[in-house]
Amino acid sequence: MKKFIEITDLTKVFVSGNEEIHAFGPANISINSGEFVSVLGPSGCGKSTLMLMIAGLLDSTSGKVEFESKLLKEPKTDIGIMFQENTLVPWRTIKANIELQLELRGLKVKDYQDQIYNILKSVSLEDFADRYSNELSGGMQQRAAFCQTMIHDPKIILLDEPLGKLDAMTREKIRADFQKLWMVKKPTVIFVTHSIEEAVQLSSRVILITPRPGKIDREIKIDLPYPRDLNVKRSKKFINYLTSIHEVFHKYGVI
Amino acid sequence: MQKFFKWVASGWMLVLFFVGFFLFWEYSIPFFEIPRYILPAPSEIVAKGSADLDKLIYYTGVTGLETVLGYFIAIVLGLGFGIAISFSSILRRTLYPFFVSIEMTPKIAFAPLFISWFGFGLMPKVIIVVLVCFFPIVLNAILAFNSLSNELTLFYKSTGANTLITFFKIRLPAALPQCFVGFKYAAINATVGATIAEFIGSDQGLGFYISIVTGNMRPDLAFAGIFFLTCLGLSVFGFVTMMEKILIPWHISMKRINT
Ligand SMILES: Nc1ncnc2c1ncn2[C@@H]1O[C@H](COP(=O)(O)OP(=O)(O)O)[C@@H](O)[C@H]1O
Ligand SMILES: [Mg+2]
Repeated sequence: MKKFIEITDLTKVFVSGNEEIHAFGPANISINSGEFVSVLGPSGCGKSTLMLMIAGLLDSTSGKVEFESKLLKEPKTDIGIMFQENTLVPWRTIKANIELQLELRGLKVKDYQDQIYNILKSVSLEDFADRYSNELSGGMQQRAAFCQTMIHDPKIILLDEPLGKLDAMTREKIRADFQKLWMVKKPTVIFVTHSIEEAVQLSSRVILITPRPGKIDREIKIDLPYPRDLNVKRSKKFINYLTSIHEVFHKYGVI
Repeated sequence: MQKFFKWVASGWMLVLFFVGFFLFWEYSIPFFEIPRYILPAPSEIVAKGSADLDKLIYYTGVTGLETVLGYFIAIVLGLGFGIAISFSSILRRTLYPFFVSIEMTPKIAFAPLFISWFGFGLMPKVIIVVLVCFFPIVLNAILAFNSLSNELTLFYKSTGANTLITFFKIRLPAALPQCFVGFKYAAINATVGATIAEFIGSDQGLGFYISIVTGNMRPDLAFAGIFFLTCLGLSVFGFVTMMEKILIPWHISMKRINT
């Protein structure tokens, strides 16, 4: 039986001039519907490259990606994707930037006014709805971009280091909120990160990527109850997960 | 009100400079005993120019029409070709290198040819203005429409939006600041093109006026003509700057924050 997302022998080699950069793979990954999978690895190991290939936004050099047994050939549109660099445009306010996602999809902006307010409130940006993105700090921009990614309630969510620019406290809060949202709506999440703690706290499974060219070192199923609040994070089991992942990357000389 | 005071505060040095400049000019003429057929004093330029005011105003209209007409045709053509070239890989490999190589020739060199082909009327001047304005506009437009960030490109692809929606909601607004760089550059070229075209062959306009009065040893009137030409150039440039403020206010404020 094929899984919801089936990735087979996926490889990416960038060719620039007569130079070849082996960026990722080959790798095989299977993901169930409703799973929260983190892709964890040092920077430059090909995480973003993998995510773009899964979204159908970057052609693979070899191998294939299948969604529900259907071969992916063009950009996948029934997703919410957040890139490493935010996609807020300078000519629109924060609110209008969130509406851009809806407008590009041909959805009625009017029907989403409450949702926009609520999602902005969930990241404490409701007072900044009418500001332009260049008036916001890097962390605030990232939170706004998160809202832009989520507003159309996607069933498949791809996030590339979405909490990278946030301060520790805000990061903690958004992790908790995002976890709550995932527990209620059960979207399939692929979460790219280089934070071990974040990966273990959020995901049902963590995929460890080796330094470039990124291959899968191992997958670790995180068998902890949700919601993973402070109590869970203090537990022996949680700490053990962190330690074992630390050891893997230590072996590669990354940490 | 506060803004006005700020403006006065930052502008007074410039005003002082201009006043000083013209005073220096006025009093150095008698001081250095410069003959008036070489360089007239500002006061004389004003006095003699006012006597010829009707003609000067009429000629400003003539040159202004050539300038504005040519400028707007160049904007329409430049944007049209710029967008076409940005979206067509065939044009990008044919027309684009062709335009880049023509850009290297001084367009004004074509002026005598156009005059001989199309005569002394309005048309050859407009064509020359179009020619000197077209290239900065088209080349900047191509640059503008080709420099959308990688993330924004991927973003709109992931939404499945069609070309038309993407164009109006993302590509066009993203391209406008760079397009205006071309418009402003062309605005400067426009009056230059019209003036030189009139030098070469015409029976009216400020360029014609300046060349005639200079031939008659009347530098005072030539300066009066130059003054009106300057006003014309400043108005065209002022108009573009105003349009930029209206169409892309977000870009102006971005510059303000960054500087
Ligand atoms: N468009 C590209 N052209 C050439 N090389 C690239 C390109 N994108 C990424 N790479 C290279 O591929 C490798 C993996 O990049 P990336 O997927 O961004 O890593 P990560 O997201 O894990 O930090 C890096 O060595 C990077 O330099
Ligand atoms: Mg990356």
